[in-house]
Amino acid sequence: MITEQVVKDLLNTSGYIADEAIATAVFLALHMEKPILIEGPPGVGKTGLAKALSSALDFPLVRLQCYEGIDEGKALYDWEYGKQLLYTQLLRTQLDTYLSVSADLREAVERLSAEESLFFSKNFLVQRPILRSFLSEKRSLLLIDEIDRSDDEFEALLLECLSDFQVSIPELGVIEAKRKPLTILTSNGTRMISDALRRRCLYLYIGYPELDREVAIVRAKFPDLCEVLARRMVEFLRKVRELNLRKPPSVSETLDWAQVLSILKATQLTPEVVANTVGVIAKHQTDLQKVTDLAMQELSATWNG
Amino acid sequence: MERIIASFVSALRENGIRVSPGESLDAVQALALCGMEGRRSSRQLLRLTLVKNVNDIPTFNEVFNRFFSRFNFVDPQNEISEIMDAAIINMEGEFNYLDQLPGDDHDEGGPLLKLDSDINPEDLAELKSLTEIDPDDTEGTEIVVQMKGYRGKAKKAPRPTRRYTQNPLTIELNKSSSVQMGITFTVEEQIAMQDVVSRMMMRLRKDMKRMKNNQNRGKLHVIKTIQKNYRHDMVPFQVALRRKRREKPRLVVLCDVSFSVSHASRFMLLLLHTLQNQHLDVRSFIFNREVAEITEMLANMPVNDLMEAIDVGDIVDLDENSSFGQVFLAFKKRYLENLRGRPAFIILGDARNNYDEANDWVLDEIREKARYMLWLTPEERDTWSRGDCLMDIYGAYCDKVEVVKTVDDLSLVVEDLLRDIYADRADPIDRKRLLEAKAAEIYDSKDYYTRGAGGNSEPVFDPAGRSHW
Repeated sequence: MITEQVVKDLLNTSGYIADEAIATAVFLALHMEKPILIEGPPGVGKTGLAKALSSALDFPLVRLQCYEGIDEGKALYDWEYGKQLLYTQLLRTQLDTYLSVSADLREAVERLSAEESLFFSKNFLVQRPILRSFLSEKRSLLLIDEIDRSDDEFEALLLECLSDFQVSIPELGVIEAKRKPLTILTSNGTRMISDALRRRCLYLYIGYPELDREVAIVRAKFPDLCEVLARRMVEFLRKVRELNLRKPPSVSETLDWAQVLSILKATQLTPEVVANTVGVIAKHQTDLQKVTDLAMQELSATWNG
Repeated sequence: MERIIASFVSALRENGIRVSPGESLDAVQALALCGMEGRRSSRQLLRLTLVKNVNDIPTFNEVFNRFFSRFNFVDPQNEISEIMDAAIINMEGEFNYLDQLPGDDHDEGGPLLKLDSDINPEDLAELKSLTEIDPDDTEGTEIVVQMKGYRGKAKKAPRPTRRYTQNPLTIELNKSSSVQMGITFTVEEQIAMQDVVSRMMMRLRKDMKRMKNNQNRGKLHVIKTIQKNYRHDMVPFQVALRRKRREKPRLVVLCDVSFSVSHASRFMLLLLHTLQNQHLDVRSFIFNREVAEITEMLANMPVNDLMEAIDVGDIVDLDENSSFGQVFLAFKKRYLENLRGRPAFIILGDARNNYDEANDWVLDEIREKARYMLWLTPEERDTWSRGDCLMDIYGAYCDKVEVVKTVDDLSLVVEDLLRDIYADRADPIDRKRLLEAKAAEIYDSKDYYTRGAGGNSEPVFDPAGRSHW
């Protein structure tokens, strides 16, 4: 029996520092077999959670990246027309002998249509991510990434898959999941997700982490970065987030910056260091200026004092 | 436990969070799985299963605190009966639980007594009767039910007398509500606006889909079709059609927030807020004498907070006289350059310039950048010529000037506009063809006279025409 604490520890060992809400959500999703819908600003580790979970729990990761215009042929299943045609070509001689027994055309057609289901069998079915994760022998982790980029129709298509873990294929009937995958949906909130989909999921909002957790995240990824610098860095970034920038730095920016600082072997956070590496934190021209100004203001004072 | 969850869910619903029965079942299942150990984890469990929207999380926390604050979570290991005991003790101590309200915002420096004009004698009587419930006569869960709904009022009630002795007495009267009344939105208003907008979006979406389908019914894309059917021996199983590019409609809104149009602008702002939640590309500006962009704020702040910020003059100074000329000039300087695409402009204002310079040439420049320009004014046409109104001058640069008085007017106008933009973008070629065809049609003045009468300029009395009378 996996408990919340175990989930947390497992994630920790794979380098993902989870807070209580995340651990509880994962725990519930594992036991209630319900998908998790994760929302939050970009770069706070929504996709990262799925990746970490897949390595921690040893579930194979099946990823479906959503985009505008994605449909069932790309997400659920597709028929392999090419293979079907190729088989009819190759089997022509067999077909000839098979059909030559029949006396007239009518009987030939009847004989052939009796074997029709051969050509719409699992042999010719291309499994797209959702079906693949449903049919996986081992319990898998299905990541439906950036669901907000898809259209409404696709969302409606997901409803059946996510509530009952089954796929209806008109030619084959209903295919149920062998092992219900642990499903994670992520959204950046560029579009409202419908209530119908929300209702079927557990809802987890991941915001910017607290100070201690963010420091722990940095320390976990870059153990050689000294604790004091990591803390100073994170404290500074938290102030940057309050600046009302066009693109506030997220956890992924924190990690990039930590990497830059450890490559540069920086030991102190000075305005110069910030000015040299500001491109890692701020991603807009107007933001650059604001961040360097803040660095002058905040860091030079502590530097002198 | 089911009963507690059920009443908690109904408390959530009272506060405007939509919870389906399925979700409350989920909550029960989750609690059964994890056990109710500690307040924090049960809160998380309930939040994960019951709340499906970021904006609802603060409300949820508030309701949770209010709903479960009557129990002192003494110790997770304690028996239920002990928790009940604690609850009973809490009840007997007069209003003691007020001290433990986690949302208690009563800091030492603040005013001690808040008089609220809302509270009436009946409420107070109800409040007093609370203490007279004899806990021994009732079952545990019933206490829960009886307590429900009073806590909100209890919080507004005068504080326990013990406080008075600790600090000097200060009294704060609720700020006169008459001023704020017109500015903040009631829940009903917000819901009504959401309704109007979502219906509008539904209609629009349908239209857009139809247009999109029309687009898809384009000509055959030969190369793509060949590529697609290569593996089928060039038998065109799958057909690829040409498709026209479809761009999102962009909207730029300039909204006057001076007092003279505040009744119209507040609905405009609410409409903007709701539109932005629908993820249209809208950039919103407000102005009085100076202009400021509020796109980000609309997206990130609760609409009432924003209205209050605007109303106290935090964003643009409201004490000055509004000046359209200056605003246009400032807008051109600061924003006009970095507007993406060719947006449609909506300007909401009464065009009363307070006898300032008109600067109408700027509007001409803005018009060049814009796909469409619409002016909305709350004033009737007959008053445009009076006083300092420059509607006639400004109106000359706009594609359309509309008088807008109610929410329905407003949403209809905006819907028409969006539809126009969409139609415009969807079939630029068709439109062009249409215009060309119109231009090619030679206007024959004789046509007018010769119509019907066969060259005879005098209308002929036709007796047969009246035969059916």
